[in-house]
Amino acid sequence: MFLRSLPSSSAFRSAARRISAVRMAAISTASEEKGASSAEKEQRHQLPSNPPPLQRLEKFKTTIFTQMSMLAIKHGAINLGQGFPNFDGPEFVKEAAIQAIKEGKNQYARGYGVPELNSAIAARFKKDTGLEVDPEKEVTVTSGCTEAIAATMLGLINPGDEVIIFAPFYDSYEATLSMAGAKIKSITLRPPDFAVPVDELKSAITKNTRAIMINTPHNPTGKMFSREELELIASLCIENDVLVFTDEVYDKLAFEAEHISMGSLPGMYERTVTMNSIGKTFSLTGWKIGWAIAPPHLTWGFRQAHSFLTFATSTPMQWAASVALKAPDTYFEELKRDYSVKKEILVEGLKAAGFIVYPSSGTYFVVVDHTPFGYENDVAFCEYLIREVGVVAIPTSVFYLDPEEGKNLVRFTFCKDEDTLRAAVKRMKERLHKR
Amino acid sequence: MELKLSKASRSLTPSPIQELSHLAQRCGAINLAEGFPDFSAPPHIKSAAVAAINADLNQYRHVQGICDQLAVMMKQNHGLDVNALTDFVICCGQSEAFAATILATIDQGDEVLLFDPAYETYASCIILAGGIPVNVPLEPPHWTLNVDKFMKSFTSRTKAVVLNSPHNPTGKVFSKEELEAIAAACCQMDCLAITDEVYEYITFDLQKHISLASLPKMQERTIITSSLSKTFSVTGWRIGWACAPSTIASAIRNIHIHVTDSAPSPFQEAALAALQSPPGYFKSLKAEYEARRDFVIQMLSDVGFQISFKPQGSVFVFAELPKNWLVSDIEFVKILIEKAGVAAVPGRGFFHGDIDDQNLRTRYVRFAFCKGSDTLNAAAQKLRDIVGSTGHLQL
Repeated sequence: MFLRSLPSSSAFRSAARRISAVRMAAISTASEEKGASSAEKEQRHQLPSNPPPLQRLEKFKTTIFTQMSMLAIKHGAINLGQGFPNFDGPEFVKEAAIQAIKEGKNQYARGYGVPELNSAIAARFKKDTGLEVDPEKEVTVTSGCTEAIAATMLGLINPGDEVIIFAPFYDSYEATLSMAGAKIKSITLRPPDFAVPVDELKSAITKNTRAIMINTPHNPTGKMFSREELELIASLCIENDVLVFTDEVYDKLAFEAEHISMGSLPGMYERTVTMNSIGKTFSLTGWKIGWAIAPPHLTWGFRQAHSFLTFATSTPMQWAASVALKAPDTYFEELKRDYSVKKEILVEGLKAAGFIVYPSSGTYFVVVDHTPFGYENDVAFCEYLIREVGVVAIPTSVFYLDPEEGKNLVRFTFCKDEDTLRAAVKRMKERLHKR
Repeated sequence: MELKLSKASRSLTPSPIQELSHLAQRCGAINLAEGFPDFSAPPHIKSAAVAAINADLNQYRHVQGICDQLAVMMKQNHGLDVNALTDFVICCGQSEAFAATILATIDQGDEVLLFDPAYETYASCIILAGGIPVNVPLEPPHWTLNVDKFMKSFTSRTKAVVLNSPHNPTGKVFSKEELEAIAAACCQMDCLAITDEVYEYITFDLQKHISLASLPKMQERTIITSSLSKTFSVTGWRIGWACAPSTIASAIRNIHIHVTDSAPSPFQEAALAALQSPPGYFKSLKAEYEARRDFVIQMLSDVGFQISFKPQGSVFVFAELPKNWLVSDIEFVKILIEKAGVAAVPGRGFFHGDIDDQNLRTRYVRFAFCKGSDTLNAAAQKLRDIVGSTGHLQL
């Protein structure tokens, strides 16, 4: 109610003092001294010369992607590294956005989402999982799933909280957890099937664990968490009172297994934040329409962070997204069919070219072992691949806390048109040589 | 389960501005509360967005052209030389640019000076980052900067000063002298300055918006944030930016990449068309808003307000309730919605610091005039309808 008065500034200050432990910005200045002198404060404005490991990795990752992109352009390489399509989204969704713009829907939307979109998200979630959620109290729209992840971490994680993530992981989980000051525990999923290491997980979850981050279908491996795995994680979470955050942006790109939402398991909805977006499903990655579905008490914290991160989400795109989510089943069937064809082209090609190809059940990624070609690590192999073969892949070591763990793997994407995929495959078959 | 919330989020309360908007909607009130236009965005900009969608520019993008154009404008408008390749971060609105800036620069325990009254989001953002907002009251009735009080607000923990000019809610445009004082303080205390310049093109009476970064020795320590929203009446497009020296911009970019990664791509393309609008566009924008300002001031005066401070910029009038109206800001707004069907914002939500006269915090109401003439005329009529025999509102 607007009639409620705000707390006084002293309340703000005591709230701030209650926040314990060190919280680091992703690139934070290193000084922890109080009452620093002017010269020392000047120092604080510089980037730290010796940042803690997580921040070092941040800088490393940015450099790798930039280097790869620059190399790719220089050598005219076919880019199977970037995780976004080189084809466009469906006309009916684009038309809906155009309509919205023309109809003047260009001003601030309600902070937590245009009502039609919230309803469409709830309806879609019910169709997919059977769960009924309140669009007003349990659905929040964000600028892409990227923002949903950031708002989850900043809104629900305290500095010092232990959070478990599975490596290899999409880089923003770790970055936002660092921003939130969390203690990150990484559990590695290993080839060939990237199964959840049960014993390792059991010993990692303790009474201090605040949350577990699950990405299924999984980027970069394409793994899909099985019902068994999810049930195991669920029982551990219930036993230890742990939250679960799920990133399900590839849920409509589930090829060889059924996609299961953790929130639909018994006892789990009340402790789960389920995140998704339209970007991958509708090949409109630049529109930045994502969302989180969570019970009201978790939604509240999420919305706090969201309201200060971006305040509101792009209005015309929200209208278009509400249309998109009502797409008939045929749209999703065709999507899967098209992607299956692309996957076939890539996977066959990678095998023929000499990679060890790990089965990918979902997403539009495949990871392969490049070691048959004799390069000492994934970065070196990727550089060779760009320079001599003319194809871009992503070195997966950037998706681990310890880069050593990923040095044998590289990630390819098949979210490209068939001609591009065939051309890339041809280059690899012809030019890839063992060292 | 409430304990699962982060301490930071639990200390914050929902935005009264947004809640008020819901109430106004429920009552069907004429909305002079929220700061977004009810008139159309300029046609040439909408067309550019439509063209971008049709041209398949719908995947993750960074449109360098925006930075190039902004660099040109910074030079033209403020004499600033910025590097288009390294000094800009395109974000989802000024909101995200500000949040990313705070997250990139504010550590646990850092103090950040804010001028009060203030847009409420700044303090909340700072708290979320573990910082401590410190409020420096501007002095009514003209919201002048008391340099003494300002200097006394600095401590060794002060990391940054936030400057919003033209100012929400008061409509103040900080003068050259005030900016010089702020600049001198920032240099002397070796602090950052973070500006919110979203109303930069909406100034009146030949008042020129001066960017703090253009003052001597300020560029190296200033982060400018702004957006398309108010200048081009597209508050729902979420295209904003931060501009800072490259090291700082790089840190902001790293945060932004993990907060949203990319601003909506078709609107980035449209931003190019917007920013390349001819000088005539900006002239009309000013003239039209000045006319609206004058209209609303007249409207309020006609019903008994004594407007002692005419806004010099922004889209708001921060009107003081006359002393003989024995109602608080909240009571007044409620009466206005219920009796006249016109919504405004109670001013107390903007006051965070200890202002000298505690009563003042309940004596102001903010009216937005970013509304079409139909709306403003209708509002004026509604207000006239409820005045008493004195010709003024009776409260």
